Amino acid sequence: MAESLKDKVAIIGIGCTKFGELHDKSLSELMAEAAFAAYEDAGIEPERVEAAWLGTFSPGFGGGKASVTLADALRLYGKPITRVENYCATGTDAFRNACLAVAAGVYEVVLVVGAEKLRDRPVRGLQREGTHPYLEAGATPPGLFALAANRYFHRFGGDRRTLAKVAVKNHHNGALNPKAHFRMEVSEEQVLAAPLVAYPFGLYDCCPTTDGAAAVVICRADRARQFREDPIYVKGIGLAVETGWPFFDPTFEYIGFPATVAAAAEAYRMAGIRNPVREISVAEVHDCFTWTEISNYEDLGFCKKGEGRYFIEEGRSALAGDLPVNPSGGLKSFGHPIGASGVRMLTEIVLQLRGQAGARQVKNAELGLVHNLGGPGSVACVVVLGR
Amino acid sequence: MIEPDDETSWALGMIGITGHAVYLPRHRIGREKIAAAHGGKPVLEGERTAIGFDEDALTLALEAVQGLGLSACGGIYFASTTAPYLERMNAALLAAACDFPEEIAVADFAHSLRAGTVALMAALDRVAVGEQEPIVVVSADTREASPESPEEQWFGDGAAALAVGREHVVAEAKARASVSDDFLDFVRRDKDERVTSFASRFTMEGYCRIVRRAIVRVLEESGLQPSEVTRVILPPMDPRLTVRAAAELGFRAEQVQETFLERVGMIGCATPLFLLSAALERAQPGDRILLVGYGSGADAVLFEVTPLIEDYVVRDPIAEQLRRGLRFPSYERFRKAREYFRHHDEGPVLSNVFYEKEEVRAIRLRGTECGECGLRQFPPTRICQRCQSKTSLREVSLGRRGEVFTYTVDWLTPSPMPPTVLAVVDVEGGGRLYLQMTDVEPSEVRIGMRVRLTLRRLGAGGGLYHYYWKCRPEGRSDGGEPQG
Repeated sequence: MAESLKDKVAIIGIGCTKFGELHDKSLSELMAEAAFAAYEDAGIEPERVEAAWLGTFSPGFGGGKASVTLADALRLYGKPITRVENYCATGTDAFRNACLAVAAGVYEVVLVVGAEKLRDRPVRGLQREGTHPYLEAGATPPGLFALAANRYFHRFGGDRRTLAKVAVKNHHNGALNPKAHFRMEVSEEQVLAAPLVAYPFGLYDCCPTTDGAAAVVICRADRARQFREDPIYVKGIGLAVETGWPFFDPTFEYIGFPATVAAAAEAYRMAGIRNPVREISVAEVHDCFTWTEISNYEDLGFCKKGEGRYFIEEGRSALAGDLPVNPSGGLKSFGHPIGASGVRMLTEIVLQLRGQAGARQVKNAELGLVHNLGGPGSVACVVVLGR
Repeated sequence: MIEPDDETSWALGMIGITGHAVYLPRHRIGREKIAAAHGGKPVLEGERTAIGFDEDALTLALEAVQGLGLSACGGIYFASTTAPYLERMNAALLAAACDFPEEIAVADFAHSLRAGTVALMAALDRVAVGEQEPIVVVSADTREASPESPEEQWFGDGAAALAVGREHVVAEAKARASVSDDFLDFVRRDKDERVTSFASRFTMEGYCRIVRRAIVRVLEESGLQPSEVTRVILPPMDPRLTVRAAAELGFRAEQVQETFLERVGMIGCATPLFLLSAALERAQPGDRILLVGYGSGADAVLFEVTPLIEDYVVRDPIAEQLRRGLRFPSYERFRKAREYFRHHDEGPVLSNVFYEKEEVRAIRLRGTECGECGLRQFPPTRICQRCQSKTSLREVSLGRRGEVFTYTVDWLTPSPMPPTVLAVVDVEGGGRLYLQMTDVEPSEVRIGMRVRLTLRRLGAGGGLYHYYWKCRPEGRSDGGEPQG
C-alpha cells in the first residue's frame, strides 16, 4: 500500500483577492496581491519561500505557458517554479504537487498560487484552446455538462426546479461573503425565468466568467507551529484522470463522474474516512453548473447515485444542514477563475476550520473537503483538510 | 423496339437504372416572403426548397447518394453547376464520405443545366463497355439568382441520384440522343456568383426547338410516336411556359411529369434526375419514360420500366420529404443561410498533413472494433477503451444511423443560427459519436430519437471548406433500406 500524505503537510498562510470582473487589474497584480496576503498571513518574508507552484489555465500574455508568469509577478527569481494546467482541477493539482514536494522533504516552505484573468480573454464563457477542429466542434462547457444533466434526468427524474435550488442556496451563501463575485440572493422563480444557456441550464445554473487569484503557503507539518498556533493539516489528496472525450465512450453512462469517485476514494483512504457524510464537516465542491453539484454529492459519497436531488431538496447541504456544501457561495456565486478556484476553495476551508468564516461559519468544523472537476468530467482532485 | 446493331452496342443486354433517390433540403421559404421583402407579389405560388447555412451542392449530393443504400460501386459521377470546389474533385470527396473503396472511377460534370443527363449518358457508356457497376450518377445544385429577380423565386435547391448498371434494372435505357446548341438562356461567367437569365418568350422557343431535335431522334430510333410515351420529363426552364412547351412538342398534359415547381422550384442540373426519380416512384412495368436534359443543347433518353420496379422500395419518397419542411421565418434568414460562408472564412487553417490523417479518417468515419470484447470506438484507437486489448483491434466503417443517447440545446455555441443542438449518438452496429444536430426544431429533440448522419460544412478557412458529420432527424419512412 502506498504511503499516505496524512499530517505531513500544513497550510500556514492563505490569501485571496476579491473575485469578480476585475477590469482594471492585470493577472500579475492579482497574483501579487494573493501571494503577499498569504505571506503576511503566514508571517513570513518572501525570501522564506523555497519553491512555488502556479496553477493557471489560460496562457499568460508574455509568459505564454511558462512559469515566468509567476516569477515576474512576484519578482521571485532564482527559485524552482512549476506551472500546472489540468483543466478546472488546475488549482488543486498545483497544490497537490507542492504537497508531494514538501512531504518528500525536499522543501520546507512552498508557495502555491492559483490565478486566472478570464475577462481578458476575447470570448464570453471559457475559451477552449487546443481542441480538435471537427470532433469537438460546437462544444461549450455548459453544453458538455448539460449532456450529463439531461441523461441524469432521463434516468432518475428531476428537472430545472431541482437545479434552481442549488443556485438559490449558493447565491444565499455568496451574499454573506465579502469577496464573492456575486453578493445577491436569487429566488427560484428568478432562476427559472432566466435565459437558457445550454438546456437544461439557464443563466443562473452557470458559474460566471470571473477574474481572481488565491494563494496558500504550505510547510512541513512538523515545522508548522513555528509559524502559527492554528495550522491546518492535509489529511488526504486524490487525483484521477478519466477520458477527455466521454462523449465518444460507448460504455459511459453519463449520470456522474468516475474521476470524482476515484479521486475521493484515494483522498478518503489517506484521511481514513469511512463515512464521508458523517465525518466531513464542510465541503467546497465544484459547482461549475448547478447539476454538477448534485452529481458531486453522489460521486463524493454524500448520498447514493440518483439521490442527489433529495440532498439539496431536503436542505442537507445548506449552511445549517448536516453537511454544508459551498458555504463560500461556490463557483456559482464566488466565481470561477479556472486556475484560481481550487486554491481559493482551500482558503475557504482553512477559514472554516480556523473558525474565521464570519457570517457563513459552519459550526464545529473539524474536517473539510475541497473538490475540483475539470474538462467534461475528465479530471478530478479531492483534498481533505483538518485541524 | 430497338434492334441491336454495331453502333448501339451499349444497348446489348439490359442496362439502365438500378436505383434512384432524391434529397430535398429540409428548409423552405414561402415565395410570398421573398416577394414581400422586395415589396412585390410572388411570381409563382407556393414555396421553394432552400439550403441551411451548413449545406451546399456537395452535401445535398451525398444525402442523395446515401439514399441509394449502396455499400460499393464502380464509380461516382457528380454533376453540378454549383459544386463547392472548382479545383479538387468533388466526386472524390463524395466517394470518401461514402467510404467507398479507392479503386473506383470519379468524375465531376459541370457548366450546364444538362450536366445531370450528360453524366447519366457517360455512366451508361461506362457500364456498356463492361466496367464495374453500378455507376452512381448524382446531380445537385444550389443556384444563386439576383435578389428581386423572378429566378430567386423560381429556383430551388436539391439533389437526385441514380445507380446505373446491369443488375436489378428497374428502368432499361432503350434509346438516347444528344444535340449540341450554343443557345443563350442562363449563363454564369467565372467571375459571377449569380446566374444571368435571358428568360423570355424567345428563350422558350429556343428550348422547344432544341429539345424537339433530341426527342425526334430518340422516337425515330425507337419507332414510337409521342403519344406512345407514358411519361415525358421536361425540365422546366421558365414556369410560365412549361405547359405550352409540352403541347408544342406534341405531348398531352397527362403525359407530362409533374414538375413540383410550387413545392420545390427549379433545382438546376438536378432537375431531370429528380423528376425521373419522381416518375419512377409511380411507374408501372412497361411504362415508357422519356427523360430530357436541356442546356446548351439537349439529351433525351427513353426508358422502359421493368417488372422489378414493383419490388423496388424508395427509402425516403418525395412526398415524405415534402411533408418535412422547416420554414425560414424570414427572407433575411433565407439569405443569411445562403451567404454565411461567403463572408466567414476565418476557421482554422489546417495543414494537409493533419487533413490526411484526421479529416480523411473522420470523413470516411472509420472507427476501431476490439476483437476481444467487441467494443466499437471512435476516433480510432490503439488500445481498447474497455478491455485494454492491443492486439485484436481492427479498423471498421461506422454506421450512418443511430439513436440519441443524450443531448443539449446550446445557445453559447457560436453559430449563425443559434441555438446549436449537440447530441451524443449511439450508431447502428456500435460506436458512439458526438455530433451537432441540424435541420431540427430544438423542441423536437428527445433522448432515444432516431437520427441519420449527414455531412455538413462545419466551417471554412485556409482555402478549404471543413466538412464533418452532423446528424439530423430520421424521416418517418426514412428507416428502411432500399432493395434492388
